[in-house]
Amino acid sequence: MLKLQNLSKTYGKGSVKAVDNVSLEIRPGEIFGFLGPNGAGKTTTIKMIVGLLKPDSGKIYLDNIDVWENPMEAKSRISFVPDTPEVYDKLKGIEYLNFIADIYGIPKDIRQERIEKYLDIFELRNAVGDIIGSYSHGMKQKLVLISALIHDPKLFILDEPMVGLDPKSSFHLKEIMRERCNEGKIVFFSTHVLEVAEKLCDRIAIINKGKIVALGTMDELRRYSEEKESLENIFLELTANE
Amino acid sequence: MNRILALIKMDLSITFGLSAIRHKIRNRNDMIQMIILGIALLSLIPAYLMMVSGLSRIYYAYLNIGQKSMFLLTGILACQVIILFLGILYVMSKYYFSNDLNILVPLPLKPKEIIGAKFISLLIYEYITTLPLLLPFIIIYGVNENANILYWIYSIIILVFLPVIPLSISSIIVMLFMKYTNIRGKKDLLRTIGYIALIIVMIAFQLKMQNLAQRAIDNEDFLYKIITDSTILVRSLGIVFPPSMWAALSLSNLTSISGFLYILLFVIASIAVFYIMLFLSDRVFFQGLIGNLEVSTSGRKARVKSSDFQRQSPSCIAIAMKEVRVLLRTPVYLMNSIGGVVLMPVLMVISFFIEGEESLSMIKMLLETNQRIVNLIGVGFIVVLGFLNSVCCTTFSREGKNMWIQRVLPVSTKDQIIGRILSSMFVQVIGILVLYGSMAYIRVLTLEGALIIAVLGLLGSIPVGELGMIIDAYRPLLNWDNPQKAMKQNLNVIICMGIGGLYVFGAGFLIYKLMDTVDLLVIYGIAAAIFIVSSLILYKPLEKIIEMRFNSLE
Repeated sequence: MLKLQNLSKTYGKGSVKAVDNVSLEIRPGEIFGFLGPNGAGKTTTIKMIVGLLKPDSGKIYLDNIDVWENPMEAKSRISFVPDTPEVYDKLKGIEYLNFIADIYGIPKDIRQERIEKYLDIFELRNAVGDIIGSYSHGMKQKLVLISALIHDPKLFILDEPMVGLDPKSSFHLKEIMRERCNEGKIVFFSTHVLEVAEKLCDRIAIINKGKIVALGTMDELRRYSEEKESLENIFLELTANE
Repeated sequence: MNRILALIKMDLSITFGLSAIRHKIRNRNDMIQMIILGIALLSLIPAYLMMVSGLSRIYYAYLNIGQKSMFLLTGILACQVIILFLGILYVMSKYYFSNDLNILVPLPLKPKEIIGAKFISLLIYEYITTLPLLLPFIIIYGVNENANILYWIYSIIILVFLPVIPLSISSIIVMLFMKYTNIRGKKDLLRTIGYIALIIVMIAFQLKMQNLAQRAIDNEDFLYKIITDSTILVRSLGIVFPPSMWAALSLSNLTSISGFLYILLFVIASIAVFYIMLFLSDRVFFQGLIGNLEVSTSGRKARVKSSDFQRQSPSCIAIAMKEVRVLLRTPVYLMNSIGGVVLMPVLMVISFFIEGEESLSMIKMLLETNQRIVNLIGVGFIVVLGFLNSVCCTTFSREGKNMWIQRVLPVSTKDQIIGRILSSMFVQVIGILVLYGSMAYIRVLTLEGALIIAVLGLLGSIPVGELGMIIDAYRPLLNWDNPQKAMKQNLNVIICMGIGGLYVFGAGFLIYKLMDTVDLLVIYGIAAAIFIVSSLILYKPLEKIIEMRFNSLE
């Protein structure tokens, strides 16, 4: 279970509240969609969960482990795919994957099995011996995805994962997400693509100006909105400027 | 013209991070860091003052032999030669490896406009770095001579034009070098080896010139001339780099027409060489650059094989391997780290190579009787390389935009430290091997010496590495567009050299004091003890700072 408790983060001497007292509970086996307009606080929240931004206040627990108190334990259960895939340009794809596998302590046979499986799914088998600097944006994105799956994480966090992926890879990624949930793991992702969220997510939270403005299943969200049709309408209504 | 001004403005803003500084001043944490940095720089002032007082003694030495203009030549020559050599490195990364090229090349700009703008921004960088070196020379001479206003006007002209010729020459050499090494495949390796060879050849050339100049003054006739001609020494030794000689002579012949002619020559030559460089850039710049931006793929060979999957290694080894790979494959890193440890030992013996057998047998005689001191010097040399290789004091800075990877992975601080120290050790081992080669060349290498240098040298590299990491963890430079900034233009390197230098000086002084009273074997033991104890002492604060910074970076 992933639990965010009264999470807050401000920037610029406290003048900008990026995340304002956010609390969420995400259960094992859930695909959780995190929606919001640009600058709403999605990436800030995600960065606090994965250990990249220290919260000003509030707690984050994964399986009752305080993520900021016991970072080693927490990080070994989490994997993170950022919105821009910045990876070591001078390493070969396979060297990067071996590096990540070493850090998570994955034995040779298991790493080979998992890496080969995902290389085939994302059609990267023929490029993985090249240095990452020669990859396109989408290929880097796929490499980061594979590296995030090597250790079979309990919590799989993705920031805008569909950006830059071709339709086939997006399809496979959605399947992988679903598979992971069936195994009782958590998938937490932010997106702008409302269709994806609508079709894929078990529950959705909409964040606006740092606050959660809606939370629930698609059916529950429809109750927030007058037009009760698509997620797009709900989203536009809830995030409209007052 | 407006386009060039716009380019220069943008380049200056990127190079010196002007917009970033403005942003930093508003942020309290960054402000505190800048204040601490300021204090650290202030602490260098005593050393600087010592240097200045040393310089004024040199002035009097020259004054006494009636060759005071030599003093000016020394300063100007030192600056110009330093700019020439360091310029090669700066020019290469600025013209060929900076990220803004991806934006600039597709714009409708002529090569000479791009090069012109980049040149100007390098020029300004050179003003900032050479001014503290040259100003004492100008001021000491000027004040002692009760110089008139003309002297100060000439000095300003010289300061303005001083970097132009060396930087233009560096630009020309680099542009031609890049054009002819732009070969598909092993480009990076070829260029690194070529670069090291280039530096060695240039230094050898300089030394040969000096050697020739010195021979010219080694006769009785010359001694007589020294008394009668107050500029003879400048004119004989200035031949090494004539523009420096012109500048020195213009200042020392202020009152006569020849002074004016010399400064005119200096300025015209500067402008001419600059224009030749620009002219050349229009013809060769793109030829060295295009293809530089593309990264080749290896086609079918890139397919994954079963042997590509490594056996599991511990985290610290994984970190060290990653560090070494990135270091070896990024030309700028390679030149600064391994390039440095290869060059230094070679440079140490290159003058013997040039001056021939005669000087070699002399040094051999001198050193043979003091073999154990030679070993201690070797150890000191390796420890000095430990901070000169810049590996540890830029280890976090080099992560740059990839820092997020290190921060989200479950790597313990201990593994981070060990892994990064190991990567520095890798570079050190190369330095040790080259040092063996140099020592063997001057015939002072013994088996005992090799062992002592390897063991104590590596042991001594640990605390200086830790020191570098403390500095770099405290103020990592992560926001860069050009890997050069992470390593060569990183202030952490200079801070580390200052503090590391003090450490080596302190340890060296202690050992020197003990040398007369204690047996040399005991001294080896004491050196080992100093290295081990200081490694242990530095470890805790290092661990704390890394943990703190990994948590607090934004």
